[in-house]
Amino acid sequence: MDKDKRKLNLSKIIFKPIRNEKWQPITIPVVSIVISFIAAAIVILLIGKNPLQAFYNLLQGAGIMPKPAYAGYKSMLTDFLSLLNAMTPLVFASLAVAVALKAGLFNIGVSGQMLVSGFIATIIVGYSGLDAIIAKPLVLVVGFITGGLVGGLVGWLKYRFNINEVVSTIMLNYTAQYIISFFIQMYYIDPLSRQSKYVSEEARLTLVNVEMANLKMDIPLGFILAIVVAILLKFLLDRTVVGYEIKAVGANRKAAKFAGINVGKNMVLAMVISGGLAGLAGVTYYLGYYASIQPKVLSSMGFDSIAVSLLGNIHPIGIIFSSFLVSIIDQGSTYMSSQAGIRQEIASVIIGLILLFSACGAYLKHKASQLKEKNVDRKERRS
Amino acid sequence: MDTVIIDGLSFALPLFIIAIGGIYSEKSGITNLALEGFQGFGAFVGALSAVLIAHTSGIGVEHLFYVALLFSMIGGMMFSIIHAVLCIKFKADQVISGVVINILALALTTFLTAQINVLVFGQASDRFQLGVSDRFTIEFLANIPVIGAAFTNIYPFEIIIVIIACFAWYLLYKSKFGMRLRAAGENPHSVDAAGVDVSKVRFSAVLISGLLSGLGGMCFAYSISANFSSSIYMGYGFLAIAALIFGNWKILPTLVACLIFGFAKSGGSAIAMVMELPSSFTDLFMTLPYVLTLLLLIFFSKSNRAPRALGEIYDKGKR
Repeated sequence: MDKDKRKLNLSKIIFKPIRNEKWQPITIPVVSIVISFIAAAIVILLIGKNPLQAFYNLLQGAGIMPKPAYAGYKSMLTDFLSLLNAMTPLVFASLAVAVALKAGLFNIGVSGQMLVSGFIATIIVGYSGLDAIIAKPLVLVVGFITGGLVGGLVGWLKYRFNINEVVSTIMLNYTAQYIISFFIQMYYIDPLSRQSKYVSEEARLTLVNVEMANLKMDIPLGFILAIVVAILLKFLLDRTVVGYEIKAVGANRKAAKFAGINVGKNMVLAMVISGGLAGLAGVTYYLGYYASIQPKVLSSMGFDSIAVSLLGNIHPIGIIFSSFLVSIIDQGSTYMSSQAGIRQEIASVIIGLILLFSACGAYLKHKASQLKEKNVDRKERRS
Repeated sequence: MDTVIIDGLSFALPLFIIAIGGIYSEKSGITNLALEGFQGFGAFVGALSAVLIAHTSGIGVEHLFYVALLFSMIGGMMFSIIHAVLCIKFKADQVISGVVINILALALTTFLTAQINVLVFGQASDRFQLGVSDRFTIEFLANIPVIGAAFTNIYPFEIIIVIIACFAWYLLYKSKFGMRLRAAGENPHSVDAAGVDVSKVRFSAVLISGLLSGLGGMCFAYSISANFSSSIYMGYGFLAIAALIFGNWKILPTLVACLIFGFAKSGGSAIAMVMELPSSFTDLFMTLPYVLTLLLLIFFSKSNRAPRALGEIYDKGKR
């Protein structure tokens, strides 16, 4: 009896914050993040380092907390701006995954779509020598259209030939990777860096080394766009017919069909939007965060974005927060490893743990409601 | 021509065994995108144990092939418990769980490889050197024209894979366990009504997929890459998933899909060699297996049908 009571108390501590159903979309990710940081702290303790200092170093490296000393032209602000710079493509990529998921499709090919649109934008605009005022918007347009075409192809293959989108996107990933590697190595290679030649400053979506107030900072123009797009996407999904139809197709394909919704059209449309967003991720990555493309390498961002999207509850605004968190851990890891002497790779382990625990979110929810019922039962019995 | 068959087989067979693992899991109703993570983690455990045993006993790493193989299967199975628990006990979304496990596997093994290299071997390295396993030729079969190449320069693991694959085929299609497993993916309620625990069947199916994926990953590490590093996550697991969907969730058509992959891959590089093109052209030929798959799918995937209860969380109370 006593043991039972103690057990109940413990579960009360864990489940109390997530009992309120209205707040569950926020509380459950927060609880899983806390649990995973505790798990990561144990790992760091096992190596014999101080976890609190390590986490503080992460924040310092990401420009959230001030470092004790800065190199010339650097400050907390520049660190924070490079955090946003790295975060921009991740937001777009995660939004891309989210749109497809809403339509019940699993876009595992974000990396490939990023690469294709980054490459096309690089050769059309990046090397063209156009003025910044034309080049920058053009990069975005080219990126969106290219990505949208690739995504649309996947949707069409699914609709027309019943080809599973997981397979077709994987195949397109590899095909794109090798073909683009061929073209880069034949025509656009920089013999010194073994990468594609740098794109012109005018076409780049990040303003690099802008001198202001005695600082040299990188200003990611795409970041503002990413926030705007996230809000627009939320509007599209929640307040328009298109969004409603896409969600209906995702929830139950058959029911949507009986309701008179054109399933094929909506699947293709969702993939076009998804691919287009992946395209924006591609241009902000290859013509923003970087300025060149490394042949034969597929960015891992396409896969990370799946997880970031899920951590953000497949919700456009949630995604902004989840990509912010993941980018902090990613960006801060270099500084942490230099300061605390912990291997940089631990950062990805922490991210992995966060995702693992947030995958258990449904279980936590289930347990919480179970516990609530039990409590109600007990009260009824007592009265 | 001979090299095409030899290289093709040594690529196709490990892929095939991973795909069989995937078939087991998906036939039981658990979507398995985690094959990539399983094969990597299995290979990590196998490579780690081989390197550690070699370090303590002084036997050359290349001779510890069978030990590594055994441990890789155990490692893959241990890691697959996470997927099984998440999907079956915690009722997590199976796609999410799979993706997360892949990310975690990559992160953990990269971190541990570097950490262990420093702690145990005192060197900063991101890989475990393994070398390539010995090969042998079955003399009297190798003399047959064309087919003979299949018996030339074979890796020992190819034989092991063929044996295990035959057994896996028998288990899935001819045994009571296999029948229940397939039924759990089509109509879990009927399995439950027959008095069989659906969760247990699915749990064991996921463990089998982990075991076989670990084996496949180790074979790749001992042949193509000759070491263990994060480069093991080349997408073999996803390729296996593609193969099994292509093969319509059946073992024999999946073998055909894997062979097409293997031969298209080795054939592509052979053509580039014969035509004496500059090395950058090999990239173009490397796309051959993927483009071919897409084209073939256009013709063959109309009749494709996934197991009916695939990806659904089993809920006893649901009708």
